[in-house]
Amino acid sequence: MNIEISNLHFAYPTGVQALRGISLTIESGEQVAIVGQNGAGKTTLVKHLNGLLQPTSGTVQIGDWNTKEHSVAKMARRVGYVFQNPDDQLFSKNVGIEVAFGPRNLGMNAEQVQRQVNEALAMTELSDKTETNPYDLSATWRKMVALASVIAMDTDIVIFDEPTTGQDAANIARIANVIKVLRERGKTVITITHDIDFCGENFARVIAMSQGRILLDGKANDALGQEDVLATTYVDPPQLTRLGKRLGFKETVRNEEEFLAGLKK
Amino acid sequence: MNSLSIYVARESGLHKLNPLTKFVLSLCILLGGLAFSNALAGYVILFAIVTPLAMFGGVTKRMYQLVFNISWPLILSVFLIQSFFWGAGTPLFEIGPVSPKLEGVLFAFKSSGRILYVMANFILFSLTTRPDTLMISLKQAGLPSGLAYIIVSTLQLIPQYAAKANIILDAQRSRGLETQGNIVTRARALLPLVLPLVISSLLEVEERAIAIEARAFNSNRVETSILEIPDSQSQKTARAGMIIITILLIAGRFLWQLSS
Amino acid sequence: MAIVELKNVTYKYPLTDTPVLKNINAQVNEGEFVAVIGPNGAGKSTLCYTVAGFVPHFFKGEITGTVEVAGSESSKSNLHEWVLNVGLAFQNPFNQISGAKYTVFEEIAFGLENIGVPREEMIQRVNDAMKLTGISELADRSPYSLSGGQQQRVALTSILVMRPKVLVLDEPTSQMDPIGTREVFGVIRALAEKGMTVILAEHKVEWIANFADRVVALHEGEIIADGKPSNVLTSDLLAEKGFGLSRYTSVARKAKAMGMWQKERLPVTLDEAVEGFTLTLPSPKGRGE
Repeated sequence: MNIEISNLHFAYPTGVQALRGISLTIESGEQVAIVGQNGAGKTTLVKHLNGLLQPTSGTVQIGDWNTKEHSVAKMARRVGYVFQNPDDQLFSKNVGIEVAFGPRNLGMNAEQVQRQVNEALAMTELSDKTETNPYDLSATWRKMVALASVIAMDTDIVIFDEPTTGQDAANIARIANVIKVLRERGKTVITITHDIDFCGENFARVIAMSQGRILLDGKANDALGQEDVLATTYVDPPQLTRLGKRLGFKETVRNEEEFLAGLKK
Repeated sequence: MNSLSIYVARESGLHKLNPLTKFVLSLCILLGGLAFSNALAGYVILFAIVTPLAMFGGVTKRMYQLVFNISWPLILSVFLIQSFFWGAGTPLFEIGPVSPKLEGVLFAFKSSGRILYVMANFILFSLTTRPDTLMISLKQAGLPSGLAYIIVSTLQLIPQYAAKANIILDAQRSRGLETQGNIVTRARALLPLVLPLVISSLLEVEERAIAIEARAFNSNRVETSILEIPDSQSQKTARAGMIIITILLIAGRFLWQLSS
Repeated sequence: MAIVELKNVTYKYPLTDTPVLKNINAQVNEGEFVAVIGPNGAGKSTLCYTVAGFVPHFFKGEITGTVEVAGSESSKSNLHEWVLNVGLAFQNPFNQISGAKYTVFEEIAFGLENIGVPREEMIQRVNDAMKLTGISELADRSPYSLSGGQQQRVALTSILVMRPKVLVLDEPTSQMDPIGTREVFGVIRALAEKGMTVILAEHKVEWIANFADRVVALHEGEIIADGKPSNVLTSDLLAEKGFGLSRYTSVARKAKAMGMWQKERLPVTLDEAVEGFTLTLPSPKGRGE
């Protein structure tokens, strides 16, 4: 299921022009990171993918569905959206029920719901916490519950909004692992992130936005090597990329494996 | 809007008055006005008392804008209901089987006068008094700090919570929750929308309590204020005077009621 | 001269069985900048609350051992007096705004009003504090109209204006975007350089390595390391426990195992990594121009 965005313009009711002609295609199974300073339009763009926002002009197609023709609840069958703050969605008396909420809304039968829930809990290391009240868990684990709740919906496309904010290294690794599993299952994963190291290590395509427009869109190694362009939207390259550059590497590296390989050359 | 206040800053005579004075004035106009039963009373108060005060505050246009925006649906319904459901009375004209009655229209006219002056009075007060300055004055007059804090912070935080409610709505819709439709659908949507708001608000309240505690909120020293809220003997006298006049008006009305 | 002293501190939150802090012994000297690192749940926040007096006065629970700041003992003091010695700022900038004030200027004065500072002095102190943290131009703005980074700097200023002896900061940049993070770290660094005693709980290890005097590593409620950043942040112990390593340290560790890092000491910062790896690289080829 491809995502096709054509000449998307969006202005908020206050008159602020948030998106100025965005056109892009995201193919099924791609892993895309969207970076850029606050106010660049990242969240605005991504909210068009599940219909939370409707274009002022232009179109957004998710597979064969035009987002103008379907409610947000219906779009949730194809696009899952993990919001930044887990406390904005948790309300059930235990983790199991919470994670089942999404699948139930989508009309899965009891057996399917159970299967999806179990899988999602396993992926997020929550299998032993099914009976716990989400609010009895630490902020770290509440984040995983929010993740599981969306994964359980088994949508083809999953959007993560700033997944690593406030997380420690261990949880970032868990989140990276979830993304890896989604990748292996052929899901399209789109993330908005300020954590450029996380971005470099987990996403093959990087889109940099600034003031409602796309500045850069390309393979991670290419995009992340363009320090000057990234700097205009207040994005620093990943740490290992910078190290590689300072050491005079010919190619841009974005994670440990590439760096160590680069050393050998 | 960053807080639930329509306050507009201006360099006017009305703005410069002590908040307590404006508070008492507002209350007295409200209660005193109820002492008059004449149909035109509301309009007289509106045009002869509230409007000149609004001009004194430089907010006449804004006040009328807000008054009309807020009260027109109410006034329209008052007119429609009172004139068509008056029962026995003098019909004005016929619209098919029903006809509006003169008595109903007159009654609606009187009620509307009241509605308008009450709204205008309250709006004028809000336009010219910043809530925190009122709280400071009330505190200086004896209101407990805790209560003052709760009132002012609630006013500022309501729009923030409204924003959060919208985020929660978006998040739950993104999980397939239907929020439009029949009564059953909407009822089902209640818990997933309300609970996260309530729980996260409680969590936030704890953190905020820590934050103000860290700023010595519970100190037992005598408080000072960075804002200087001017007051004067003449204002104090005026406040006392207004209260007395209002009490007399209401008492007078009462006695007049009893005697007739 | 130790200004903060924790002796054998063990603490359990109410209605729990496991202590969150176990036998903590630590000292902070006047003017020192100590960073506290550890995975989530290790007890960093609890440690911050303990120095700031909220444990046990606000959170209750069971505490043993002594917590001393500037000669006073926490258990023998009132929280509302203790906060005058120890300033506390934490992660969420929004929740640190009192809500009682309509402008940043008044918001900063809030604490001074509570302790009864005379008006002229308040105005002076607020202006000085805003200059120190670089937010003078925000004075007339509503606190709720600010960005996260700005709000966090207002929170810091509101605490600083009260002239605490020690500043405790619990992950102040966790929820900031890169610009906000830079702004907040800039303020913290300026304060530390002016001689403020700072205790900072943080995850961003490279920054700590550049500016902290000392690093204390917490793991499951216990201090497992306490020393210079260059020692603690490159230790095998941290690598074993899986936290506190910068990417430079981590990749150099792997390079060392492959024979591609020759220096004895692992790098923590970018500059150290460049210096060390330059030695490894074969001369002309590696420079690749």
